[in-house]
Parts: sequence; structure tokens; C-alpha cells
Amino acid sequence: MTTQKQIVHIIDDDDAVRDSLRMLLSSVNIESKSYPNAQAFLDTDIDYLSGCILLDIRMPGMSGLELQSKLNNMGCQLPVIFITGHGDIPMAVEAMKHGAAEFIQKPFREQDLLDRISNALKKNRIKAGEDMEIKAIQTRITALSPREHEVMSMVIDGKANKVIAYDLGLSQRTVEIHRANVMEKMEAKSLADLVKMVLLTAK
Amino acid sequence: MAKNKANNPLDKQAGRLAEQDYQSVTATLEALLEAAVDAIIIIDDDGKIRMFNTAAERMFGYSAPAVVGKNVNILMPEPYSSQHDRYLQNYLETGEAKIIGIGREVKAQKNDGALFPIELSVGEIKGGDRKQFVGIIRDITERVRVETEIRDNQERLAHVTRVSTMGEMASGIAHEINQPLTAIATYAQACRRLLEQKKADPETLDSTLQKIGMQAQRAGEVIRRLRDFIKKRVSHRHVADIEDILQESVKIAQTDTRVLNYGLTLELNNKLPHIVVDSVQIQQVILNLIRNAIDAMEDNPGQPIKIYAEQSDNEFIEIIVSDQGQGLDEQTREKLFEPFFTTKSSGMGLGLSISQSIINSHGGRLWHTVNRHGGSDFHFTLPLRASPNLRKGNAS
Repeated sequence: MTTQKQIVHIIDDDDAVRDSLRMLLSSVNIESKSYPNAQAFLDTDIDYLSGCILLDIRMPGMSGLELQSKLNNMGCQLPVIFITGHGDIPMAVEAMKHGAAEFIQKPFREQDLLDRISNALKKNRIKAGEDMEIKAIQTRITALSPREHEVMSMVIDGKANKVIAYDLGLSQRTVEIHRANVMEKMEAKSLADLVKMVLLTAK
Repeated sequence: MAKNKANNPLDKQAGRLAEQDYQSVTATLEALLEAAVDAIIIIDDDGKIRMFNTAAERMFGYSAPAVVGKNVNILMPEPYSSQHDRYLQNYLETGEAKIIGIGREVKAQKNDGALFPIELSVGEIKGGDRKQFVGIIRDITERVRVETEIRDNQERLAHVTRVSTMGEMASGIAHEINQPLTAIATYAQACRRLLEQKKADPETLDSTLQKIGMQAQRAGEVIRRLRDFIKKRVSHRHVADIEDILQESVKIAQTDTRVLNYGLTLELNNKLPHIVVDSVQIQQVILNLIRNAIDAMEDNPGQPIKIYAEQSDNEFIEIIVSDQGQGLDEQTREKLFEPFFTTKSSGMGLGLSISQSIINSHGGRLWHTVNRHGGSDFHFTLPLRASPNLRKGNAS
């Protein structure tokens, strides 16, 4: 997943604005794709996209805000940067409430835009990295035996081996073996490491 | 014969009576001519003035003896003055009347060269061996002045409402201008970055500069359109293409981004003939109707506003602005065209009443009907031929 190229998806109904944005991004070696309206973007295979979305708030048909709420419902994780016009502040506030990463007012200083894009791409990268890690941890968890899983939950709850052995009606030695297996299968270097991993998947 | 008459007492009597009758008829006629407020001028078939009454003397500043025998064209400004003989000749040859029997508003010229508007009616005097024509002329300077004043007042009021409409549309206008400005700034920065990295090839730079130029023009066009719309001006009617007026109005209306939610379609049937109108005022009427339609559709997004234009008959062009909004209740419909009546929280309630007065002054009509969607159709007509008081100054 992290290997997938990050692309800035420009969604704006204005041909000239779209064209100039693509040119600016290509001048700083950022790859971009553009869409003349919200539907054109929805028609692509969104699940596999990486990067961020540069979204005009005012568009005919589906507005930027409507697209944002649709993407939220679809579980789309791409950070959204809204481009707003003069006097669109109430709309921008609404957008931020619904999780927009940034907004920028037209006409903008290009450095401001590029900074926001680079922030959004970073956010997307971190998110993608996290996602990968979570996925890996989940795989490891499924590899645990039911007993090991039980022991892990109790270890995380802070219970001593003695208590666990008593609660589960096992010998302390057996619990120690299970615990060592858990640490190995989960690739945890320490108890703290194990707790962090499990918390990550619980998010 | 005279001797015979004198000898016969009856004949003598009859002769005296005839003489008396003749004298009294002449006196009556003369009194009539002198008492008339209108100038009355009789000319021969070659255009020479035969009779020039007192009112004519007053009106034109010539004495009767000074003009009798002269060509009547001294009373007209160019180009009519030099064309008059031809008109007359043409009528005598073909019998085709351009003015005879028809009243017309034209310009006349006084002795001191001053021009003034007149209403002229011309009749033919038949019976003699030569044809003669009588012209009855009324000075309408005052009427034209009052009409102009009314029209100027209407334009002032129309102007105020245009400016206030633009105020309501301010945020849309800013958006309209920001789009090309954003593109220009972005193109320029992209070029700079390419140059910095020495990646700029002349072709890319050239095509981008061209795009920048086009976007600057686009912004300029928005400003031009709006400035034309709210510029302080005197009412001015000229030959115009209604299609152009409609297109301009739609473009102005589109600065209100709410239009984006509905869409606006223009349906023109055939090519419409040109008409004489004040195009800014007609734009104002169309814009007003479109904005009303947008307001009416506030709760019914997605349905396009339609504008139809067609030639309804030999006399009028009809334009319909049709929405699929909530429609109007009985009470609202009754008061629709009253000034200061409004159903909106903002707005002065002058839009429709001014629109109606603009259309009326153009010789058309503005009215409302309910369409099959339950929405409103606003219709207005504009005459193909300008009404007589619009021909002032530029008519023959």
C-alpha cells in the first residue's frame, strides 16, 4: 500500500483553474489528476487511491460539501483540502467540522497551497503506514491460539503470571510458556510494545 | 351673361346670395385657419407653399408673405429637406402614400435653424386641375419633454434597483472574478518554478502566457458586463438582437452561484428579428425574472429554469421565464406588480413593478401565469416595430 504513488486529485468545475493547478503541481514534481465535477471523481475506483483531494467548495451538481460527506460515508481516508471563494467562510467551517484537512481561499499564494498539499500528503503517508502496521498486527493476533489470546488480554490488563495461572486454573509455568509464545508471535520487544500494538488495533 | 343676370331680378337675387355665401364661407374658412392652434400649410404638387396660417407663422418664425411660393422643404432639416421633392414626385407617379393619411412624428426646422419635434398629418386636396396637399402640424416639444422626463425618471429608478441587485450579488461577482485571477496567479507561479529549475521550454511558456492572457480577458469581460449594467446612463433605445440581450442577462444571472444548483436553459425558436429597445433595461427585466425564479425554487433544487423566446405574431416577440418553483398563492398574485410588495425577507419589492413599467414603456406587456408544474411563468412581449413615440428623432 505505501508503495502506491501519491496523487493530488483536483476536483474543480473551472477548466482554467484545474489546468493551472495541474501545471503548478507538475512544476514541483507532484503528480495530479483532475476531474471536472464530483461525479467524475466518484466514478473512479476510490478505494485504491492514495494522496489527497483538492476540492472546490462551489460546484454545479454535487457541491464540494456533498462530495465530502459522501466520501466520509464511504470510508474514504484521503485528506481533503477545500478551495473556497470569498465569503465562503461558513461553508469552510462546515467542511472543517466534517474533517477537512485544510482550506485555502481563492486566489491563493501558491506557496500556501503547496504547503497545505505537502502536509496533506504527509498525513496520508502516515495514515497509510499506520494502516499497514495495524493490518500486520491484526494478522499476528489471528495467529494466536485461543489460550494465548486469553493470556495476552490478561497480561495487558496488568495481571501477574500468578494471578493469571490461578484464574485460568493453569500452572504458573504453563502461563509463562504461553506468555513467551505471545511475545514471539506478536513480535513484541517488551510488555509496553505489546500494549501499544493492541491499543492501535482497538482504535 | 352678367347683363342677363342684372336684368333678371331673380338672378340678381341669386347672384347676390351666392356672392354672400361665398364671402361668408371664405370668411369662415379664414377665421378657422387663423384661429387654429395647429399650423396649417397648403402646398402645390411641386412643393411650393400656397397658404401659411398664423399658427404656422408663430411656429416657424416666418411671415406668410416671406414663404408663400417657396418650397416647403425650407421647413425641414436634412436629410428630409433634400429628399422631399422626390417623395412628392414619387407619390404623384405611383400613388403610393408614405405619409398621406397617416400621422407621423418628425422633426421640423424653424427660421433660426432650431429643430423641434412635430406631429404631422397630410391630406390631399382633390378636385382642382392640380393636386394640392394640406399639412396640419402640431408642435409636440412639451409632450416630448414630459415623456423624456418620465423616461429619465424611470431610468433613474431602474438604475438604483440595478445597483442594489448587484449589491445582492456581490459574493457571486467576487467568485466570478476570483476564478480567472486564481488561474492567472497559478499559471504565473508554475512558469516561475519551471524557469527556476531551468525546465521551461519556450513552447510551454508561450502557451501558458497565452492562457494567462485569455484569463485576464475573461476577468475583464465579467467587469465590463457588470459595469455596462450599472453604469449611470440616460435611457437609450437602439436596434438590438434580443438573443444577445438574453445571453448577456443569463451570464449576469450566472454570477449568482445558486443558479448552479438548478441550471438555466435558453430555448430560442428560429432567428428572431431585431427590435428597438433599451437593451440594459431589458437585461434588467430578464435578470429580475431569473432571480425571482431562483428564489421561488429555493426548496426545489435540481429543476432547470427555462427561458423561451419566440415571435408570437406579426407584432410581438414573446419571452417567457419559466420555473418549477412553489408557485404563487392567490393573494400574492393579486399584489405581484405593486411597488414595495415583497414576499422575501430581503429585497425592496420593486423588481416586478419596475420591470413592468420598463416593458410598458417599450410598448409591451408583462404578466404571470401558472405552468403545468405548478411553478410560475412570467411572460413579456416587445413590439417588433417601435411604438410611434419611440421613433422620435430617428424616423422619417
